[in-house]
Amino acid sequence: MTRFVARTFVAAVLLGVTGIAAAQDSAQAVLDRVVENLRGVSQWATLQLTVERPQSTTEYVMEIVTDGDKRSLARVTAPPRDAGQAFLSVDTNLLIYNPRLGRSLRLPPSGRSNAFLGSDLSYDDLAGEEYRDQYDASVADRSATAITLDLTPHPEAPTPYGKLEFRVQPGTYAPLSLTFFDQRGNAVKRMSFAEFKQVDGRTVPERFEVVDLLKDGYRTVASWTQVDYHTPVPDRCFTEAALERGCR
Amino acid sequence: MTPAVTPAPPRPRRAHDLASLTRLAWRNLWRQRRRTLLLVVVVAYATLAIVFFWGFTDGFLDSVMNAQGRLVAAPVLISSEVYHHDPDPSNGLSGLAALEALALADPQVGAVAPRIDFGALLRSPYTTEGVMARGIDPAREGRVSDLPSRVSQGRMLQGPGEIVLGKGLAERLDVRLGERLAVDVSALAGPQALGLRLVGLIDAGTPVIDDSTALIDLADARTLTGVAGATGLALDVPLGQEAAAAQAINERLPDGIRAYAVGDLLGALQRGLAAERIQMIPMGLLFSLFAAVAVTTTVVVSVLERIREFGVIVSLGLDQASLAWLVTFESVFATALGWLVGLAAGYGLLWIFSATNALGALMIHTYGDIVQGLALTDQIYASVRLEYALFASVTIAFAALFSALAPARRVRRLNPAEAMRAQ
Repeated sequence: MTRFVARTFVAAVLLGVTGIAAAQDSAQAVLDRVVENLRGVSQWATLQLTVERPQSTTEYVMEIVTDGDKRSLARVTAPPRDAGQAFLSVDTNLLIYNPRLGRSLRLPPSGRSNAFLGSDLSYDDLAGEEYRDQYDASVADRSATAITLDLTPHPEAPTPYGKLEFRVQPGTYAPLSLTFFDQRGNAVKRMSFAEFKQVDGRTVPERFEVVDLLKDGYRTVASWTQVDYHTPVPDRCFTEAALERGCR
Repeated sequence: MTPAVTPAPPRPRRAHDLASLTRLAWRNLWRQRRRTLLLVVVVAYATLAIVFFWGFTDGFLDSVMNAQGRLVAAPVLISSEVYHHDPDPSNGLSGLAALEALALADPQVGAVAPRIDFGALLRSPYTTEGVMARGIDPAREGRVSDLPSRVSQGRMLQGPGEIVLGKGLAERLDVRLGERLAVDVSALAGPQALGLRLVGLIDAGTPVIDDSTALIDLADARTLTGVAGATGLALDVPLGQEAAAAQAINERLPDGIRAYAVGDLLGALQRGLAAERIQMIPMGLLFSLFAAVAVTTTVVVSVLERIREFGVIVSLGLDQASLAWLVTFESVFATALGWLVGLAAGYGLLWIFSATNALGALMIHTYGDIVQGLALTDQIYASVRLEYALFASVTIAFAALFSALAPARRVRRLNPAEAMRAQ
């Protein structure tokens, strides 16, 4: 009996210590996991991008190739008006190829944070790297269906937002939604994620929906189709030659 | 039988005739002092008005130039010649300490402040705006620029991590005091970004300032651009001495580096103001024309008053043509006297207003709201240039012309018998 009590006591202490440690780093750990899921893995895919505006809806089809880390190449295949436009992202550099000009242009760093193709999405929205580098995470709420992380920017972080709110699926750490708040506490943009797929231990969303909360009728939906997670992506796909001519 | 009287043939006009007429005209001026005084006063007033008009106009335009210069650029800016033609941070200055010492060695230079001007993209949660941002040393910028004194809300920069924006730009970005902006730059250091907190708003009352000004600390600018030194050294020199100071400093600067006066820095504005001045010329000419008409009217009245006198003179043997010359000479002498008196009074007045800032205070208090869009300071000094005397002499030319056309012509057609009976 004495031995049982002692074992129970030791187990309780160990569990308690482990629990405290888990609670201390859990927010950052959750953020790391969710960012990994958000960035996905190496893949070839087709992306359907639907840009909705109050008076119009535009549908783009893009071929996407990424190494799942810091390199990606996207080429517009439809509509014909925009076909041939391509975007190459390597680290923080972003290049765009305009088929009408027949040349590539290096975009300023703002190009990563600006919406591409007139949508509500930007490269930084998809990369997720800045969420880890520029924000302090804290768990605001934890329930059976979602962990809510509050991301507060570092004092000199190059972000105009006052707070980000990440809702994450417990267990898989799949991103459910990400809401951007201005510095007055108003939600200005919300990204929702759906159609998750398990790839190499990650839960990767294959559908993004971005809603501009300040402008009625401004919405962008991105759906990944024909995703190939298994064919290796060669380095030649992330060169200016591939930007201009493709790499398939 | 009365012998037939044959008219004497007209005497040929000789130089000494004109000299006699000149002396006679001069004496005539002082025979009727009140009339002469009236004519002199009219012309002097017109001359004074013309001289003051141009002195004030040029002084006002110079004030606009200098005010804009101290807001947009600097009284004098030292930069590389390459940067002047291609304002890219990669063409900046190095060896700032030596250049500062060299600039300060000039007695006209009161202060030096380093700057980094660069293109940047400002991001708020709602929108983005591209601007030409300026990195400054907050402790020194106030000596070379009026911008720090135009902070209407919040305060001026005190150090890194802060940004001051023009009011219009802040409104477009929808950013408020205390909020953070993301600043993106791509220069020598590659793509760089910083989050800077808005601490002050500039309200200069002029769109070129309020809609595009972004000031950040020099250290932040160096981080963002990768420029180790500066793109320029702004110098404080006395008002009106910008070009002379720049020229003096240029004699000591090394090859490839030049001092540019505000006029060189704001070429477009200078051309605009020069165009404004050209547009004022018709108004100035109109002024001269009215003054000449006033003078001519006075001469005409004087001729009408002296019809009997002229009749006697002609009957005594002076021909009408000579009499017309006499009247013209009188007009020219009177207007010349008035011109000289007017010049003395006009230049005296300009000298006073060029030495004191009476016009600035007057303009700001009277027309503050109207001139606000011109970004004027309360420093408006009259300009003093010799060419104003030439402009005023147009009045003399007009007066002489009109006198020859109207009063002298009337005298030329004078019938002595009728003239002597005139009341």
